[in-house]
Amino acid sequence: MENNIKKMSGEESIKIITDMIEKTRCNIKQGSFHLLFWGWLVLICSLTEYLWGQFSNYDKPWIVWLLTVPGVFVSLIYGFNKGKRQTVYTYADRLYMWTWLSFLVSAIILVVLLWGKMQYMGTYILMLAGFPTFLSGVIIKFRALMIGGLCFWALSLVSHFTGPDISPLTVPVAMFTGYLIPGYILKKEEKNGNV
Amino acid sequence: MATFSDLDSLLHSQLRLAIVSILMNTESAEFTYIKEQTGATAGNLSIQITKLRDAGYITVKKKFKGNYPHTLCMITALGRERFEAYVDSLRDYIK
Repeated sequence: MENNIKKMSGEESIKIITDMIEKTRCNIKQGSFHLLFWGWLVLICSLTEYLWGQFSNYDKPWIVWLLTVPGVFVSLIYGFNKGKRQTVYTYADRLYMWTWLSFLVSAIILVVLLWGKMQYMGTYILMLAGFPTFLSGVIIKFRALMIGGLCFWALSLVSHFTGPDISPLTVPVAMFTGYLIPGYILKKEEKNGNV
Repeated sequence: MATFSDLDSLLHSQLRLAIVSILMNTESAEFTYIKEQTGATAGNLSIQITKLRDAGYITVKKKFKGNYPHTLCMITALGRERFEAYVDSLRDYIK
């Protein structure tokens, strides 16, 4: 890019401004890792808990959820390393990061509040997860993630109003619609260089 | 109606306008990122960044990532104000 003052017209100025804004717009979209990682991890935990509870006499099938503890560290280390390699930080980057960290804190508090009443965990965690998922979709202007957030909220209600046979299946369904489908769409777009 | 001469001469240049436009939309951007997005040479970019810094439009911080030095650029309140005024003048000029 040259630095020519005399030749630049008003239209050219507008073009430079819009081009540069467009180039910095979609930075966060290049991050399907967390969606796919958590989508699969929670899907596996929820299905294992369900099947374990249905087909065995073991009374603490929820113990499988302890897998999410190392999962948090994997996510934090991945995010930290990615942040170190990043050469630009947008305001949306920061908002996106703090939205999910706020969710993490809320989820930890929810575990403490519901300790001993873990059968209600799925309902409340879906309601809570709907918030960062929907908001993230709004921040990065990604409709699939917004729909995913709406699905979380809808499935939270389904979980509340259905019996113990159906309610545990709402979490794996939510993982498909809320994390895995948007995650794979993002991954495809990353590969095609659309983000 | 605004005339061409009303436009901020520091911003009314292709590379400097591109730099400030990037920084308006970001919290901070590294020198390498700006170079990549603008396609400018390192020498030219360095000169224009220095001009913007000296005018108080942007701040420049040097930091290390491992053993490698990195130059981080951020827009200042003055730079933001001047950019907004430039866009307003540009709108009037185009009308």
